[in-house]
Amino acid sequence: MDRSLFRYVWQTSRREQMLILGVVLVSLPFYFISLDLPKYIVNDAIQGRSFSGGKTEAVFMPIAIHAPAWLGGFQLKIFDGIPLERIPYLFGLSGLFLILVLINGAFKYWINVRKGALGERLLQRLRYDLFSTLVRFTPESFRNVKPSEMATVINNEVEPIGGFVADAFIAPVFLGGQAITALVFIIVQSPSLGAIAAIIVVGQALLIPRLRREQLRLGKERQMAARALAGQIGEVVEGISAIHSHGTAPYELARVDRRLNQLFTIRFKLYNRKFMVKFINNLMAQLTPFIFYSLGGYLALTGRLDIGQLVAVIAAYRELPPPVKELIDWDQQRLDVQVKYDQVIEQFANSPQIAPPGPAPAAPAFGVSGLEVSQVKVADSRGHVLLDNLSLSLPLPAHVALTADGGDGPDILARIMGRQLLAFSGKVRVDGEDVTTLPADFVGRTIAYVGPESVIFQGTIRDNIAYGLHLRTPEAGLAASDTDWLDYEVAAASGPEDLDKRIIETLRIVGLDETVYRFGLSGLVKKKRFPGLAERVVEARHAVVKALEASGSSQLIEPFDPSRYNRNATVSENLLFGIPIGQTLAGDGFIDHPFVRGTLAKSGLTADLEDMGAAIASTMLDIFADLPSDHFLFQQFSFIRSEDLPDFAAIMTKRGRGDVLAEGDKARLIGLTLGYAEPRHRLGLIDDERERRLVEARHLIRSTIPADLARAIEFYDPDTFCKAAPLRDNLLFGRITYGVAGAEARVLSVVRDVIAQLGLDDDVYRLGLDFHAGAGGRSLTPAQRAAVSLARVLVKRPSILVINDALVQFGDAERKAIFERIVEATAGRTLLFVLRGKDDAAVFDHVVAFAGPRLRGVTDQRHSTGSAPLAASA
Amino acid sequence: MALEAEVETLRAVPIFRGLDPRRLKLIAFTSQRLSFRSGDVMFRQGDDSDCAYVVLVGAADVVIDTPAGPLVVSRIGSHSIVGEMGVITGAPRSATVVAQTEVTVLRLPKDHFLSLLEEFPQLSLAVMRDLAHRLEATNRLLAARAEPAKH
Repeated sequence: MDRSLFRYVWQTSRREQMLILGVVLVSLPFYFISLDLPKYIVNDAIQGRSFSGGKTEAVFMPIAIHAPAWLGGFQLKIFDGIPLERIPYLFGLSGLFLILVLINGAFKYWINVRKGALGERLLQRLRYDLFSTLVRFTPESFRNVKPSEMATVINNEVEPIGGFVADAFIAPVFLGGQAITALVFIIVQSPSLGAIAAIIVVGQALLIPRLRREQLRLGKERQMAARALAGQIGEVVEGISAIHSHGTAPYELARVDRRLNQLFTIRFKLYNRKFMVKFINNLMAQLTPFIFYSLGGYLALTGRLDIGQLVAVIAAYRELPPPVKELIDWDQQRLDVQVKYDQVIEQFANSPQIAPPGPAPAAPAFGVSGLEVSQVKVADSRGHVLLDNLSLSLPLPAHVALTADGGDGPDILARIMGRQLLAFSGKVRVDGEDVTTLPADFVGRTIAYVGPESVIFQGTIRDNIAYGLHLRTPEAGLAASDTDWLDYEVAAASGPEDLDKRIIETLRIVGLDETVYRFGLSGLVKKKRFPGLAERVVEARHAVVKALEASGSSQLIEPFDPSRYNRNATVSENLLFGIPIGQTLAGDGFIDHPFVRGTLAKSGLTADLEDMGAAIASTMLDIFADLPSDHFLFQQFSFIRSEDLPDFAAIMTKRGRGDVLAEGDKARLIGLTLGYAEPRHRLGLIDDERERRLVEARHLIRSTIPADLARAIEFYDPDTFCKAAPLRDNLLFGRITYGVAGAEARVLSVVRDVIAQLGLDDDVYRLGLDFHAGAGGRSLTPAQRAAVSLARVLVKRPSILVINDALVQFGDAERKAIFERIVEATAGRTLLFVLRGKDDAAVFDHVVAFAGPRLRGVTDQRHSTGSAPLAASA
Repeated sequence: MALEAEVETLRAVPIFRGLDPRRLKLIAFTSQRLSFRSGDVMFRQGDDSDCAYVVLVGAADVVIDTPAGPLVVSRIGSHSIVGEMGVITGAPRSATVVAQTEVTVLRLPKDHFLSLLEEFPQLSLAVMRDLAHRLEATNRLLAARAEPAKH
């Protein structure tokens, strides 16, 4: 990117700029004519100069080209004109003026639209350029970069630059052109008036920016002061406990007061300056008409200027200040934007960039002959040596453990090998190729690094694991979807389905299979994505019932049976007998719906439910009345929120007196019954008779539901897949019996067996892979995030896999298991593993041991007979 | 009413004896009624102590692992509370409890139980008394075992 803003703009948009500039130039003559025309209207038509000497007609709009005298002075007539009487002549000229106004407006419109588009295009380009610079930063330079700052720069700070670049060349030409045209016009009419106008305009143009520059400086000062104030307030808020404990509040107050005072002083200066500029500006704008009226009037009266000219000059002068003012604004913006651009460029240009890649090795396999490290030295920013003159050579492929008794040696070497660290001296070669200059996409295919911090992108678990496979540049360009970028070959897969299989295998290695399976069970099955699965799930549903019966545990689950009350489900679940879609029938809205209320009344349930509600209310009042309102038992167990308790107490008192309750009160009591399930709450409120009536109401709801409301619910049907319910609920199709210890685990294990028998395992996993990881992986636990990061590198089957402390998030037993599976999965390829402790060293071919920044020795364990440390070059 | 019956049972549990019936109702209502089959492990030695159980009906054995194999140290029956010690100390389960008959319990999650102790000093006192009794019993047992060893 060019350091000069104007050069950058010109380089990136030359053609478009020239086109617009051309149109600007073409528009100027029209502008001139529109200034000139009033003169004729006043002189010829209104004052009647063309009709002097008793003429009743004048020629309207003759068009001819007068060649200057030095060209022979001939005249070329294009249009002879139309003879018109005085009034039509006036209207003709006025009409012409109107047409010119429209033409000028059209020019302005076109120029503005193109300018806007040009600005947006340039902004897009600028952001893209900045972003592409950003992704080429070396890993080291990212250490000094704040993510939010970079996002702000690319997103917000360049915004005003984008607004300006469209104007960079066009505004001065367009506005300057207009101003000069107007000025030239005035000079042509009257050189003396023109001279005055020119002096004032030039004076304005010189003086105002000078004043404004000071204003700009003050503005910047104000911004800094405001930023400092914000910083101080933030600091106080963060350190408030320290301020309280030290009693330094008055001190902090005084400090903030000082800043506020400073801010006031700056702002006051700014106002003075601002209104002074305004005053001078206005004065000059008003002064000129004074001169024009007096001097121009005098010239007109003495006959040296005609009235038409005077009117036109005054009109033209009115046109003069806006472009001049805008030009001054443009100049100010230029200064402002130039500063911003410089800042942005400095931030980006000063960060070292990854060296341009060399050619990719032509060999079909990589990492097959050996690793050669010579004289590698790494120091941190303070010059502290982290790795000192490391030289070693190892045959590849091999499993290599990097160990140390303190020091960062293993970490540094792992990061160099994973291309996370490029600022080192010396050479690291694999198969004779310098790893620092290998092209990025080649590295993406052959070397994979995973460190202690898991990186999770927004998207599904599948997106995250397959992230490293986005290595194929699709031909479709911008139209390509994200999946078009996937290079299935890298994962040794033939297509999307096959890739899912590879990913599932990888899940087993990193111990994430159980989790993803669980996610799958809680996922919604979309028919489009999983054709045929819904039908199989219904089949599985029946198989689950059979399997439970066969194992004598059919009592563990109470299936949804349209003709029976489900005791383990709540009252509302039993009434609705389906899953609400959208908000109409969801939650408490269900009972408030007029249709539901009407149906309950029709089936004679209203009184029943009211009685039940009253029983619940009295129990709640009994239990919770004297518990503190913020007690957690309240929030978890009470059917009534603490703030509603008094209301219900009042309702119950009324009811106790035998008063007739208001409809609203009744509804509130009925509302309490919605979440009630007998085995869970055990208040003994639902007997066989009530069950029968609730089921009746259920049938009535289903059979009489209006068509528009039917869209708000998906009813349960034992033989149909329920789209709105998660897979698990579709498989169980019932409620797990409440109060039987271990029921859920036993049922789920049966469900699992059935899924496996029907061969649906992979579908469940695939559904689980659709689970969204959330922003920054917030929907996952730290261990799950680490597992996903590991899976991402494993699925690529890299020739060289570098694992640097990536297993720290796992518990001991799990870490060991994952470690062993990784070692097994990478057999025949290279694994560089930073090893803590020495327990697992035995499985490696070589152990590279560090002592502080120095190499202590390399042990070859392949023919391990009393492994003597190799001579290490230091 | 099932809840009322549970309240009656709770009243018979020594540590809940002096408690207001309303509190007993609160405890019953906020705890989960669970049933175990004969032979089910209610919790295992070394597990997290996430709840205490009040046995409503049934009997269970308290078993500890010893180098010589599992050793039944006591049997608990209806109206007893089990697992509350780990809940109070935060230590893992010190023994395994196995249902010997069909057992119905009220499950008091750890948070509930601790908050009950905080809220109702009567209950804390009762728990302390119970623990003290048990400690005393253990001491006596140890003394009795140590006696014959001297001979």
